[in-house]
Amino acid sequence: MISCILIDDEPFARDELAELLLSHADVKVVACASNAIEAIQAINEHKPQLVFLDIQMPRISGIELLAMLDKATMLRVVFVTAFDEFAIKAFELHAFDYLLKPIDEKRLAHTLERLRGDLEPRDLSPLAPQTLSHLPCFSGNKLKVVPIEEVEFIFSDLGGVHVSTRAGMVHTHLTLKMLEQKTPLMFCHRQYLIAPSAIAEIELIDAGAEVITRLGKRVPVSRRYLKELKQHFGFQ
Amino acid sequence: MPLILLLTQQMCLYLVFVYLASKTPLFKVLTESAPRLPHKVIIYLMFSAFCIMATYFGEQTHGAIANTRAMGAVLGGLLGGPVTGFFVGLTGGLHRYSMGGFTDLACALSTTLEGLSAGLISLTLRRSGKSELIYHPFVAGFVTFYAEIMQMLIILLVAKPFDDAWGLVQQIAPPMLLVNSMGAALFMSMLRDQKTMFDKLSSAFSTKALKIAERSVGLLSQGFNETTSAQVAKIVIEETNVGAVAITDRDKLLAFIGIGADHHLPGTPIASKITLEAIRDNKVMFADGVEMPYACSISPQCRLGSSLVIPLRSDTEVIGTIKLYEPKNKLFININRTLGEGIARLLSNQILYGRVEQQKSLLTQTELKLLQAQVNPHFLFNALNTIGAITRRDPDMARSLLQKLSQFLRINLKRSPGLVTLKDELEHIDAYLGIEKARFIDRLSVNIAIPEALQHYRLPAFTLQPIIENAVKHGTSQLLEPGVIEVQGSASADCVLLEVTDNAGLYQPSESCEGLGMNLVHKRIQNQFGKQYGVSVTCERECFTRVTITLPLAQ
Repeated sequence: MISCILIDDEPFARDELAELLLSHADVKVVACASNAIEAIQAINEHKPQLVFLDIQMPRISGIELLAMLDKATMLRVVFVTAFDEFAIKAFELHAFDYLLKPIDEKRLAHTLERLRGDLEPRDLSPLAPQTLSHLPCFSGNKLKVVPIEEVEFIFSDLGGVHVSTRAGMVHTHLTLKMLEQKTPLMFCHRQYLIAPSAIAEIELIDAGAEVITRLGKRVPVSRRYLKELKQHFGFQ
Repeated sequence: MPLILLLTQQMCLYLVFVYLASKTPLFKVLTESAPRLPHKVIIYLMFSAFCIMATYFGEQTHGAIANTRAMGAVLGGLLGGPVTGFFVGLTGGLHRYSMGGFTDLACALSTTLEGLSAGLISLTLRRSGKSELIYHPFVAGFVTFYAEIMQMLIILLVAKPFDDAWGLVQQIAPPMLLVNSMGAALFMSMLRDQKTMFDKLSSAFSTKALKIAERSVGLLSQGFNETTSAQVAKIVIEETNVGAVAITDRDKLLAFIGIGADHHLPGTPIASKITLEAIRDNKVMFADGVEMPYACSISPQCRLGSSLVIPLRSDTEVIGTIKLYEPKNKLFININRTLGEGIARLLSNQILYGRVEQQKSLLTQTELKLLQAQVNPHFLFNALNTIGAITRRDPDMARSLLQKLSQFLRINLKRSPGLVTLKDELEHIDAYLGIEKARFIDRLSVNIAIPEALQHYRLPAFTLQPIIENAVKHGTSQLLEPGVIEVQGSASADCVLLEVTDNAGLYQPSESCEGLGMNLVHKRIQNQFGKQYGVSVTCERECFTRVTITLPLAQ
């Protein structure tokens, strides 16, 4: 049984693909998403083996979404596009799976046939951007796309991952580890990422230190990360 | 004969030379308000010669020479400045010194000083911005008068014995003072007249040239053909008053106006040999009727007696000629010759400009056709995908969507270059939006509020549609929340405004792909209606983007 998620911003396009997949009994659609934010949440939640990923989506494209997937949750991706010359060239070059809209049933069957034999995640790094310029976030039931420059710090707790921005607190489904790799933010605590540009002061205290951000927020610094943080600013 | 009459006679001879010189181009050098080095040399040579001449023509009196040398030195200084004046004086002085006599040293010294001080006065006047005073006859007379007084004083101081010097000065001072001052003043007056005449002539010339330029502006840029050529020929003949004006292209006569128009017929091939030669060799041909005879190649009864043929050039290639004629009983005046060449240059530039403009507009047309023909493939394939999906559950809706898609494609393929009514344009938009709404369902809503009165307003096809397509493609389709597009139309006293506002506010001016469609619409409107119309954008980040199309109310 192959579990999969459909990611496309057009409802009819999702329906059509779901319909076509019905005739393949071993493929099960576990969720659908209409944008990158929903997609990350769905992937984290369902941990599918396969996603059908549309490239053109609002604000965060399918390609940008690739950069936001945690290495640990890597899964097999089948790209779906109506027309995107450059992307198609890249798919061909790296032999990635892709489907063209309107989707041809035979081609879909052929792709699935191949996946049945080999469902190993592929290394999509040649395609995925190395850094993130925007973070997909949410607040209540509103979705927000936050430019990375507006982020002061990010922390995780039992409730999830929280992003403190100039405009207030929002939440994200991205993991701290992935964010540390793809953004200028750095760890200052096991559960905290801080943007170096947002640091106004570092206050040394017994067990470590505290950062006071430009907006006056206090962020804990653990002894483990203090040295690195000081080095970043040239303190010995 | 009294000394004063002899000196006056001498001065008159002098002035005759000056008058003759004033008829040569050399004289123009003197009228320059700021002479440069080579011209200063000419001034030096001219006035040194005057000084030497004056010494020769001078009257021997009491072992000295009564003369008009001062005129030369002072004028040299006034016109050439201190350095030139000094050298003119020095040359004249040295020459005088070589003639001997008991005042030789005094005269040499004073002439040099005269030249120098006149030069200094000239410099002071120039520096204080009163250079026109240099050419004033009174100033020249006054300066000479002062210079001669100085000379007399120097003679008294330097020449020995003093008694002889005193006697000499008593005799020569009044006539020399009077005649030299008068001579200098007369010389300057002649120079000034010459200068005024020259200025007037060139101003008349430029007025004429400017008038032709003004009247003919833009005519030939509309195209180089019989109609526009006839209009230009009419302007040229009215402004220059020549006998006849003709304009040809490389092989035939395009326009002929004036004497001989009865047998020089537009549309006939070029018959004149000199015209063919002018075209072949790309050079100005002039048959003045005297040295180079001119005879009409068509009719022996033709009254035209002289002809100037000037090639019209586009870049380096000759594309035609303009010809000016005078009848046999009239001389071809020089000014018309120069003017003719100027007109030819002017017309050539206009033709070139017209071609560039035409090509530019052609380019925009081509680009636009390309834009129309190029249905956004992303849109097309997504539309097909949507229709495919809908076919399963709602065949009727699928059929209606196919209708809309066909309608959209049909209008795109028609590529009508002219004006369409706003109603037609809105139908095109409706077909487009019908499909986009099906794709995005509740994520896109569009409110079109165009007053009924504007429905029959005519505008270039593909003006509003590309802007709305942009609003969807780069605006609302990039929104996570529902997108809203407002389309509004209004008419003011002199223009029609069409506004397309989306609630995304994601417009980025640098985005080239987005700019393309909008730029083309903008360029085409400006080409067609003028710079005050076109497309403008206001954007509040993540709030709204408003594109405003401004069109003329009456076309």
